[in-house]
Amino acid sequence: MSEEAQLLFPLWQIDQQEYRAVCAHLGITPKAQVYDRLSAYLANAPFRFPRPEGFSLFLASPRLTRFRIARLDMVTKLFLPHHPIRHVLNGVIALHECDAEGYREMSAAPAGWAVPLSLLGWMSGFVWRLAISVPWLGLRLVGYGAGAPFRRKGELTAKRILVTGVNRGLGMDLMLHCLEQGGEVVGTVRNVQALEELKARLPAQAPVMLLIADLSRPGALVEALDKAQIPAASLAIAILNAGVKYDGESVLSLDNLRDTFQVNFFSAAELAPWLCAPATQETGAADPVALVLVSSMGRWHGMHYVCGYNASKAALSIWGESLEMELRQSGKRRFTVTIVEPGIFESGMIRRTALTRLLSVSRQDVARRIVSAALAGERALRPPVWFALLTWAVCLAGRDFRYRLFTRAKTTVDRR
Amino acid sequence: MNRIVIVGAGVSGAHAALTILERGHDVEVWDVGREETNFPDEGVSFHDLKSRLPDPAAYFLGPDLGGLVPPTSSELLRYPPSRQFLASTEDPLWSFTSDGFSAQGSFAKGGFANGWGANALAFDENDLSGWPVSFSEMEAAYKTVYERIPVAGPRDDDLTPLLPGVHPSQPPVRLTPADERLLQTYQRRKRTLAKLGVKVGAARLAVVTDPSRRDACDYLDRCLWGCPRASIYNPRMSTLKECEAYSGFRYVRGRLVLSLLSGDGKITRIRYLDTATDQIREEPCGAVFLAAGALQTGAIFLRTLKAAQPDISAQTEGLMDTSVVRIPFVQLRGVGQPPAARSFQFNRLILGMITETALWPRYLHGELLHLTGLLYYPLIERLPFDSRLSKKLFFAIRSALGAATFFFPDRITSGNHQAITDHSGRWEKIQLRYRETEDKENYILQSVSRARSALRRLACVPRGAVRSPPGAGIHYAGTVPMGEGPKRCGPTGRSNLFSNLYIADGAAFPSLPSKSITMSLAAHATRVARSAPL
Repeated sequence: MSEEAQLLFPLWQIDQQEYRAVCAHLGITPKAQVYDRLSAYLANAPFRFPRPEGFSLFLASPRLTRFRIARLDMVTKLFLPHHPIRHVLNGVIALHECDAEGYREMSAAPAGWAVPLSLLGWMSGFVWRLAISVPWLGLRLVGYGAGAPFRRKGELTAKRILVTGVNRGLGMDLMLHCLEQGGEVVGTVRNVQALEELKARLPAQAPVMLLIADLSRPGALVEALDKAQIPAASLAIAILNAGVKYDGESVLSLDNLRDTFQVNFFSAAELAPWLCAPATQETGAADPVALVLVSSMGRWHGMHYVCGYNASKAALSIWGESLEMELRQSGKRRFTVTIVEPGIFESGMIRRTALTRLLSVSRQDVARRIVSAALAGERALRPPVWFALLTWAVCLAGRDFRYRLFTRAKTTVDRR
Repeated sequence: MNRIVIVGAGVSGAHAALTILERGHDVEVWDVGREETNFPDEGVSFHDLKSRLPDPAAYFLGPDLGGLVPPTSSELLRYPPSRQFLASTEDPLWSFTSDGFSAQGSFAKGGFANGWGANALAFDENDLSGWPVSFSEMEAAYKTVYERIPVAGPRDDDLTPLLPGVHPSQPPVRLTPADERLLQTYQRRKRTLAKLGVKVGAARLAVVTDPSRRDACDYLDRCLWGCPRASIYNPRMSTLKECEAYSGFRYVRGRLVLSLLSGDGKITRIRYLDTATDQIREEPCGAVFLAAGALQTGAIFLRTLKAAQPDISAQTEGLMDTSVVRIPFVQLRGVGQPPAARSFQFNRLILGMITETALWPRYLHGELLHLTGLLYYPLIERLPFDSRLSKKLFFAIRSALGAATFFFPDRITSGNHQAITDHSGRWEKIQLRYRETEDKENYILQSVSRARSALRRLACVPRGAVRSPPGAGIHYAGTVPMGEGPKRCGPTGRSNLFSNLYIADGAAFPSLPSKSITMSLAAHATRVARSAPL
């Protein structure tokens, strides 16, 4: 596995650097093949072991450093036996034990009179670690308590979530996040090839149902859902994420424009009546269904040579708002519409430059925020906020200014 | 027509079959017959496998690490994937539900004897009190069984007077330095230990140790992982092979017997699932010997009873299992000593404890085990320190670590039984209901406290006691026990209800002594097969 490869479930998995830190903590030599095995094992952990919650989850989220590992090893052994780090430490020891060299290294022990001396040294080390870990735990508890009122909801246990376009980008992060949170995902991809590639990457035990739906074909999404016999009432959240953008194509190229609108707008417009069908209204009365429309901040302004991408997103946002108005007025359905208008974030659609990396939010973070916004029934989400404010300011400044700004920005980005 | 069918090819089935063949009759053994894959690298020790196998983690923990014991689990060991053929609760053929009894089953050819601990003891007069069979009646069968199964053990030691009927024919298994130290301490403190009723000696094990034999144990520490040499007795590799030498023997694989059909007080047909085609079929038969293990035998008997006599309640007279308690200990003299390089992996010493009570047999069987040939990570995770210290500490004191395991006897108790409760499937599922009794609890508590005192006198520091849940003892018995009444069998194993049905396995035991049951299963099957009028 390459150093850069993205972890599927960061809550459970560790990257190579973290693995090296764990080995340093345990006093063993890291091994590439052990890391690969461990990584595959931990990728199945969300579906084998109970999900950490509350304080345990709070402690599990940040990156592992040697200092944190030493503290977590102590604290989880004493107080939080279900914490993911215990699976990491247990797995590392087990795998190194199965390896000839690893076992030789681990089982080397003092003999004779060296034993009591070593025991004394080890025990004082233990007491020292304990003495640091206990106040550290106190500090973490204070941090946890202070942050509690602002913590977002994310629990998805036994919930079924539809996500379109899960084979890459934000769609994949949404799927992985939902899985990590205990949800069951119905994901759509465009074709067989994408489906096979994705299947190969996902852990065998992941509760994912993958459907093929080419959203550029009218009715494809609903057809795929019906074919897979997925009742609308079984979905807790439907995230329409899939989108297409023809970079460099004129808004006058009608075929691609139609395609853009079909994928980005009409697929959502087709799904909504299916979701609101009378059967759903009867059976799904207990839990609200959240419809999430992944739009774009670009919907607030025009853009040249993206073949109507911004226009399609504008249609989606405005249509979504209209739908919500109608639903509210009819009062028939506990149905929320969350319109997500991400600004600048790491997606396949924007080139990665030093500047964009600095200013944008990470895709995983956007995925996390989308899910908690949907669960909370929020109406709009525009990460990052500074970008939304900037966009609106630019929109107020007039078309001439926008023309000059966007032409310049686009040529700079293109040149890079 | 006298078609003789034996159901099951474990220890009981194999010995019943051989006995009937020796009597000059033809016999068929019906079995599901799962078999294990070949063992890698014969002659390579457990720890050396790690450098010899291309992917040791896959062998020990499974390709997807499904055999990795999670940190929160109470298990200290999981069968490696290569051994999962043995226990079959995940198997679609498994038709039991648990009510306080988490049982295991085996659909393997050779049954649980593919993975047993090899302790070869015989029930004595005291163990058999309450049986309609005396020790002298059993003795002839024990002799035959000890001739068929090579047993390693001392000719004479402190335990010999407590273990009549045990006839070792092989030298004892080699002891490790840790065992030697324990035995030396025992020799010094014999008198104080005698006051506690405790005797320690080399284990009596069904293992080939005579170095002149090709199948002699070569101390690879791989007993638990499947002995590549078949040094440990396994009916699949020996008794059934002996049966195959007879022209009248037929081993029929792929049949899960569900029930028997009867008429005029006799069994006429056998109803079974053909596991290859998944079809339920019937075939006529003359005499049937049930040797499918106490749980399966009880299940077959219950389904048969329900069809023949619907007015009799469909629950068995009993359900027994030994309760297992493990006491981990540290042998003080062992700290800082190098671990044994190679050894026989199961217990090499036994600790017998004498208790004079009216309720339970005199002899309580204990096994003393020092850790070898294991994956240690679950033990490391169990230590009460952070992983960093636990790992170092464990390997520093490893050669001093041991466990004393005690097997507590059982007897038939009202309320502990098998019952048909679920009729929804293609065949009835059987519920296993079990509750511990108060007097047994007291007996266990007292014995454990005595065992701790004994361990301390052996210069060991005992720490805690791990009690396995009911059903984990895998010494199942008493589902169609000897005695009076339609749901029992006679002293020769013949059913009181069907004149051509024989209970040839532990289902017929009316009580369950503490001693390991395998030799008694073989002896009982031999005796039943010998006395049956065929």
